[in-house]
Amino acid sequence: MNAQDAIVKLLWLAPVLPLATGGVCALLKRRHRAAAASLAIGSVSASLLLAVWALAATVREPDPVRHVVNFNWFQAGNAWIGLGWVLDPLSAVMLVMVALVSLLIFVFSVGYMAHDENFTRFFCFLSLFAGAMLGLVIANSLLLLFGCWELVGLTSYLLIGFWYHKPSAAAAAKKAFITTRIGDLAFLLGMIWLYAETGTLLFYDQGRGCLEQSALNLLALRTAGLGVAVATAVGLLLFLGAMGKSGQVPLHVWLPDAMEGPTPVSALIHAATMVAAGVFLMARVHPLVAMTDADIKPTGLYAQSIPGDAAACRPGGVQKIPITPPGQAGHDLNLPVDPNAPGRTTVSTALKVVTWVGVLTALFAASVAVAQTDIKRILAYSTVSQLGFMMLGLGTGGVAVGMFHLITHAFFKALLFLGAGSVIHGCHEEQDIRRMGGLGKLMPVTFSTYAIGMMALSGVPILFSGFWSKDEILHAAHGWPVSRLPFLIAVLAALLTAFYMTRQICYVFLGVWRGSPGNAGDPRKVTAPSHAGRDTSSSGGLPHESPAVMTVPLLVLAVGSVVLGFFGTPAWPWFQGFLLGRRESLELGRLLAGGTLGLMALSALVAGVGILVGYWLYGRRPPGAADESDPLEHFHPAVFSVLRRKYCFDELYDVALVRPTAAFARACHWADQVLWGGAVRAVSRVTTALSWASRLVDEYFVNAGFDRVCDGLSRGGGHCSRFQNGQPQRYLRAIAVGLLVLALLLLWGCRTV
Amino acid sequence: MIPVNYLDLLRLAAPETVVLAGALVVLGVDLLALREVETGLRRLLLLILGAVTCGAAIAWMAAFPNLGNFMQGMLVVTPLTQWVKGGVLALAILTLLLSGGASFTNHWGEYVALLLLSAVGLMFLVSSESLLVIFIALELASLSLYILAAFHHDAPESAEAALKYFLFGSVSAGFMLFGLSLLYGLSGSIDLREIAAALGGPFLDPLLAVAMVTVAVGLGFKIAAAPFHLWAPDVYQAAPPPSAAFIASASKLASFFVLAKVLSVGMGGLEGRAVFGDYLPGWVPLLAALAAASLLWGNLAAIVQTNVRRLIAYSAIAHAGYMLLGIMGGKAGLPALVYYAMTYGFTTLGAFGVASLVRDRVGGDNLSDFAGLSRREPWMAFCMLVFMLSLAGIPPLAGFFGKFYLFAAALKTSSLDLLWLVILAIGMSAVSLYYYLQVLKQIYVVPPPSGLAAAPIPSLPKTVIILAALTVIVLGCAPNLLLRVLAAP
Repeated sequence: MNAQDAIVKLLWLAPVLPLATGGVCALLKRRHRAAAASLAIGSVSASLLLAVWALAATVREPDPVRHVVNFNWFQAGNAWIGLGWVLDPLSAVMLVMVALVSLLIFVFSVGYMAHDENFTRFFCFLSLFAGAMLGLVIANSLLLLFGCWELVGLTSYLLIGFWYHKPSAAAAAKKAFITTRIGDLAFLLGMIWLYAETGTLLFYDQGRGCLEQSALNLLALRTAGLGVAVATAVGLLLFLGAMGKSGQVPLHVWLPDAMEGPTPVSALIHAATMVAAGVFLMARVHPLVAMTDADIKPTGLYAQSIPGDAAACRPGGVQKIPITPPGQAGHDLNLPVDPNAPGRTTVSTALKVVTWVGVLTALFAASVAVAQTDIKRILAYSTVSQLGFMMLGLGTGGVAVGMFHLITHAFFKALLFLGAGSVIHGCHEEQDIRRMGGLGKLMPVTFSTYAIGMMALSGVPILFSGFWSKDEILHAAHGWPVSRLPFLIAVLAALLTAFYMTRQICYVFLGVWRGSPGNAGDPRKVTAPSHAGRDTSSSGGLPHESPAVMTVPLLVLAVGSVVLGFFGTPAWPWFQGFLLGRRESLELGRLLAGGTLGLMALSALVAGVGILVGYWLYGRRPPGAADESDPLEHFHPAVFSVLRRKYCFDELYDVALVRPTAAFARACHWADQVLWGGAVRAVSRVTTALSWASRLVDEYFVNAGFDRVCDGLSRGGGHCSRFQNGQPQRYLRAIAVGLLVLALLLLWGCRTV
Repeated sequence: MIPVNYLDLLRLAAPETVVLAGALVVLGVDLLALREVETGLRRLLLLILGAVTCGAAIAWMAAFPNLGNFMQGMLVVTPLTQWVKGGVLALAILTLLLSGGASFTNHWGEYVALLLLSAVGLMFLVSSESLLVIFIALELASLSLYILAAFHHDAPESAEAALKYFLFGSVSAGFMLFGLSLLYGLSGSIDLREIAAALGGPFLDPLLAVAMVTVAVGLGFKIAAAPFHLWAPDVYQAAPPPSAAFIASASKLASFFVLAKVLSVGMGGLEGRAVFGDYLPGWVPLLAALAAASLLWGNLAAIVQTNVRRLIAYSAIAHAGYMLLGIMGGKAGLPALVYYAMTYGFTTLGAFGVASLVRDRVGGDNLSDFAGLSRREPWMAFCMLVFMLSLAGIPPLAGFFGKFYLFAAALKTSSLDLLWLVILAIGMSAVSLYYYLQVLKQIYVVPPPSGLAAAPIPSLPKTVIILAALTVIVLGCAPNLLLRVLAAP
């Protein structure tokens, strides 16, 4: 227990170490490359050790328990604003995932960014990001979570625009920042509302936190208007924030553009961790989002009051709050994974929205990915699609389902991105898959690991983690009591996933090398001077395998992509049980029970069909030249063109939002110049005229009068002074006169009395 | 008949005794020991001896604060009188040190002794509440000052001014004695408190009115209030500068204090009312008339002056007008009045010091002789700037807060009866800025005349001037340092 308490108390170090490293790296000079890299890797390794320790401590806990450390931040009026961190299965799992993926990508970046002159700055930003992300994961306060959320948004902005001299990168950075800001605004509103209702932003605080039963009761009982409970409204606002961060339709537009950043950034931030923060947020506040009238339970604590003042003085010690597993004491906020368990019939409105948005995003992004030609953009749309799957999982199956896919996806998507980075690196900054081909022989390690990632993403059965996690989601969607439609859409999206990944593999690794040696004339090379030196030295060569510093992380991630799946199979759903506070044992029988096997078979079939169709279209007869048109284009050019142009979302936004805004800005500018400027100029003219008039008055009336007064004073002084002629006789006479006058004055007064 | 306890008397009058003994010692030492000593050294030793005597008296008051009332008002010692006497002695010390570089006489023993004697007179004046003692003390101080004013051995105008001063002083003393005898006749007592009890009020007997006016003439002469001020410009201009400085500072401080005491204690029920156009006879309308005359006459006549010491004289008349407002403020105005008189004393003493230095250097103290002082003597120029601005009442110097507290006291006690006088005072303050700035314009703007040899200035007067300027600045920035102890019961 002591070791557990110790890790709980030390947990804050996990985010603070990388944050401090970021600060130190910011002060380092540009030439201290080794120092920056080793500091960053060292600090994130330390964070990983802490994370593993925390996970081990949580796993060894005999009873599922949530460790919370709260402290007061500042006082506002009577209320104390508290912050804190929490160690529970959810944060422990996320901690390990974030720290591990960060470490691997840091190592990979040493090789990938080796030739960049701003190497130090890159590691500064990366450390900053890792710290903020770890802080987000362990936050026990919506406020702290929001702060870290904004920090990761900031580092995302900085890293997308890392090559800021490239106009497209700068534009993409701005786009990412502004688009996510829309979601963040909703997040902020939701947060404020939540605080107004419950008086606290702490998640868990000995029954007083905003995610605990008494606060949830309160939120479900109060209505926000139109018959919507406050819980629903706040949940939806928070979900809007999550949509921005996690690239859900229609706020997804920034994520594909974010691929302008360096590839390790895409892997770390825009695939594995930060974009999953939205999903994580939904998992964290799941009790709130899932709250319905049916979940209202009497508690011993306050019934209707706002507990803000009760939280005045909070001890800094470790609190232990038991996690109630579903099915116990009737406190079941999560849908059971097992369809045989008694299913819920009431689903909260917020969860319905989450489900629908998720599944539509999954299908939409998967269909766009089919028609893309940029290796990273395909992966980006794939990420959007998989995030949609996670939301679907959260909406239909609860925290465990969504989080399982989040973890497995983090590994295989980081693997894919790093693989893509390795490919791009090997092909001298080429990103167009039509100009690749035949890399399987030239880059064997990259190819094999990439293939593992691809199979995991496509959901190839049994061996790969993606199969198990996606199967869980399909399973949950199948059992969703509201509608069967999301399940069907998800199956279609899964099919497309397998298809576009096969297409990509065929284009990149099979067939023959289609790129021109050296890629002369590629604009990317001109605008990315960081690699220019290397390019000139090796230009004209064929693609080459990347160095060990880049391939070793690939291998580690590949292992993770395979192994992780076995922790969450239906036969032994350890992961799900761990998250929900249950102990699960190995029961092979469950694999065969009921619809499980059928669904698994369907899932495997879908993946197989997708891969086969892909291979039939692209692998059987690989394209011979770079400018050969896509086989799909022959089927239906119009549809294909719409897909390639991403359903024209960018154009739509341009017409609907950007241009009206710009026009409005121009109108404001015109009004400012002509209307207000004119008014100001008119006022200035009037003032000038008035000041002329007042100057005249001043000169001819006031000054003249003043001069006359002054003359009078001066003459009076002369008279007084002349009286003083030096004659004592006159002086003494003055006494007499003075005496007489004063005496008469007083005597005259006496007479009147 | 009450038996007289001479030990009590000695205890209460110890500071005066110390100064008196000092004066005699100075005379004796000068005659017996310093006859053959070279003039410069002799002067230095005697001045230091005089200063040490005053310092010893101050130290005595600080160490043995004996308070009491001896023989029904013959000698009344309160914390406030101790402070005023301390102020008189401090000004005396500064005056003595200011004489350090002067050469207007060779009779330094007599000079120092007379200065100390007049200080003794002023101290008794402050301490007494008996008509007889007041008059005797007044005469002791005045007679010493007449001689001090005539001390310039080779300047006939010094003797002329002293003669005028003496004539004017003796006439007004005669009036005052007449008034005092009337008071005694009306009340049957020479103790101010008993007089107040006997006179009652609030209505004025015609005979009492005459007594009041004649007393006002006598003390109005001492404080140089118009129209009894006519001696002041001549004396200020022609007397040796240290003497003039002492007349303008210490003598004024004590005289104002005694005037306030005689009126507010001795005629406590006879204030009257001085609303403009509707007055009730009493000493308040009397003082209001004097104050208005002083304000107008002093400020207006100062505008046309070309001599700096004469200008300071007229400004002194104007300041007497301001200070009369404090007396009209009654008992509550007393701390403000003492604060103003003390800071005014330091300011005007410093200004006389600067004028004296300029006179020694350039040969005159007309306005034009100050041209370009800032180039020649930046420190002295800055001190003069402080003095002039303080006299004009510019914050944060002592003159500003002094005026502020005076006006506030006058308005507070009389429920705005005196508003017209305060408005007049403020307006005249604005006028006064003109002539003070004339001096500063000469110092800072007008270029210095060519061909003026640089010569070292004596360090003793310089130190005194800088000390005075520092006092003005410190008391201006922290007026509570002094006001708090003055207002303490």
